[in-house]
Amino acid sequence: MKEPAERAGCLEAWLHNHADAARRSLGRRLHAPGQTLILIAVLGFILALPAYLWLLLENARELSAAVDHEPRIALYLDNTPETELQAAVERVDELQGVAGTTAQSADQALARYRAGLPDTALLDWLDDNPLPAVIEVLPLERTPEALRNLESRLRQALPEATVVSDHEWVRRLQALHRAGTRVLLVVGGLLALGVMLILAVAAASELRERNEEIAISRITGATDRFLRRPSLYTGLWIGLGGGLFSFGLLWAGVHFTRAPVESAAAAFDLPLRFATPETQLGLILIAAGLVLGWVGARIGAAVALHADSHP
Amino acid sequence: MIRLQRVTKRFAGGTEALHNVSLRVDAGALAFVTGPSGAGKSTLLRLIARLERPTRGRILVNGQDLETLPRRDVPGFRRGIGLVFQDHRLLLDRPVHANVALPLEILGFRRTEARKRVRASLDKVGLLQKENASPQTLSAGEQQRVGIARAIVHRPALLLADEPTGNLDPALSREIMELFLDFNRVGMTALIASHDLELIAALGRPMLHLENGRLEARQQPPAGKPA
Ligand SMILES: Nc1ncnc2c1ncn2[C@@H]1O[C@H](COP(=O)(O)OP(=O)(O)OP(=O)(O)O)[C@@H](O)[C@H]1O
Ligand SMILES: [Mg+2]
Repeated sequence: MKEPAERAGCLEAWLHNHADAARRSLGRRLHAPGQTLILIAVLGFILALPAYLWLLLENARELSAAVDHEPRIALYLDNTPETELQAAVERVDELQGVAGTTAQSADQALARYRAGLPDTALLDWLDDNPLPAVIEVLPLERTPEALRNLESRLRQALPEATVVSDHEWVRRLQALHRAGTRVLLVVGGLLALGVMLILAVAAASELRERNEEIAISRITGATDRFLRRPSLYTGLWIGLGGGLFSFGLLWAGVHFTRAPVESAAAAFDLPLRFATPETQLGLILIAAGLVLGWVGARIGAAVALHADSHP
Repeated sequence: MIRLQRVTKRFAGGTEALHNVSLRVDAGALAFVTGPSGAGKSTLLRLIARLERPTRGRILVNGQDLETLPRRDVPGFRRGIGLVFQDHRLLLDRPVHANVALPLEILGFRRTEARKRVRASLDKVGLLQKENASPQTLSAGEQQRVGIARAIVHRPALLLADEPTGNLDPALSREIMELFLDFNRVGMTALIASHDLELIAALGRPMLHLENGRLEARQQPPAGKPA
C-alpha cells in the first residue's frame, strides 16, 4: 500500500528507530533502577571472577618465564674421587648441546657447607663425607625439547649420576598453567552461559510486562525486530554497566589481595608481582558484557515474542 | 480493494461467527457494515486485518490473498491499515499524544514530523487540548476519539473502524463520519461497522447487513455490494 509521502527515508527511519529504542530503553532503565542495578551487579560479579583468576594465572606465567631464563641441569655423583670427577667432567663437556660445566667435588661441597654452618662440631662426628660431587651443566639450547634430549644423553653418559633439572619444575609450572587456563575456560564459559540466561529471563519478563503495548503494536504492523529492539538496547546497557562494574571489582580485588599474595610468593622465594589489571582487560570485560547482554536479551525476546505470537 | 469469497469463520467453541460471506469493497469506496449485536461485524473486520484466519473461503485485500501472505509480510500489510477498535485499546501507561504516535513510531517517522502529525490528527477529532492527558482521565467518547486519531494518523490506505461512534453523541458522531468522508475523498478506502442506522442511511453509502453471520443485501449502490 501507499507509503506516506513525509515518511523518512528507509535508512533514516531505521536509524531513527534505533535511536528511539535506545533512548526509550535507557529511560525505562533509569526509571526502574532497582532491577537494573541488580542485573548489572550479577553480570559484574560473574565477569570479575574468571578475570581475577586469569590475572593470577597470567602473573604466574610471567613468573615461570622469569625463572626460565637460565635453566641448569645438575649431576650428583656419589663416592666419586677427584680424578674420576675430572674424567666425568671431560665426558660431559664433549656431549652435544652442552655450553659449559662447573664442577664441585665432594670435599669442596663439604667445605662450603661447613663454612655456612655456625657450629661445625656435628660434622666432625661423621666418618665419611655424606655429600655428593656435583657437575652443573649449562645447556646450549633452552627449549624443553632440547633440554629433555640433553638430560637423556647425560643419563647415558653417566649412568651412576643422579640427574636433576631445575627446568623440571618450570615445566610443571607450565603444565599447571595450561591446565589452569583450560579449567578457567570451562568455568568462565559456564558462568557466562548462566548469566546470559539470567539476562534472558529478565528480558523476557520485561517484554511480558509490555504485553498490551506489544499486542497493539503488532496489530498496527510492528515487526518482531521492532518490538525486541528496546530489549536489545537494554541488554547492551546492562552489558556496558556490568563490564565497567566488573573492571572496578577486579581492580579493587587485586589491590585488596596484592600484599598477601606477593608475600606468600616471597615465602616460596618466587619473585611474583601481582600486576594491576590493564585497560585492555577492561575493554575485554566491557566487550564480554555487551555480547552477553545482547545475546541474553535476544534469547529472552525470542522466547517472549514467540509465546504470544500473532495469528 | 477487499474481496471475500465464501468466507466462513467458526471459533474454537463452535460458534459460527460468519457463514459463507462473499462481498466486495472497491478501492476508494466507503462502505458500512450493520447488523445486530453478535452478527459478526467485528469478526469480519478482524478477518480483513488478518487478526483472525477464516475457517473456509478466501480473503483478498489489494489483490493479495491473505491465506498465502507470507508471515514476514504481515506487519507490512498491517501498516497500510488503520484500525479503530470497538474497545479503543489505548495504552494507559502513556499520555494521549504517545498513544496516537504509536503507528508513526513503527513507521520510523522523525520526531518533529510525528509531533506535527499527532497534533493534526488530534485536532481533527477535537482533542488537541487533551494532548498530554492520561487516557484514564478521558470520558468514553474521548477515548474513542483518541483511538480514531491513532487509526488515521499515518493516513492509511484502508480504514477498518469497529463502531467508531458507539459512545458519541449525535453531533459528534456526524462530525466523525464527516471526517471519514473527507479522508475517503482523498483516496482512503473504508469499511465501518456501525449501529447508527439513522446516521449512515443519511450518508447514502453502501451498507452490508449481517444477520447471524450471514450477509443480507439492503442497499446496493455500485461501490460496494454483496457479490
Ligand atoms: N474469539 C472468539 N471466540 C469465540 N467466539 C467468538 C470470538 N469472537 C467472537 N465470537 C463470537 O462470534 C459471534 C460474532 O461476534 P462479533 O464480535 O463479530 O459480533 P459483533 O457483530 O461485532 O457484535 P457487537 O455489535 O456486539 O460488537 C458472537 O456470537 C461471539 O460470541
Ligand atoms: Mg463488535
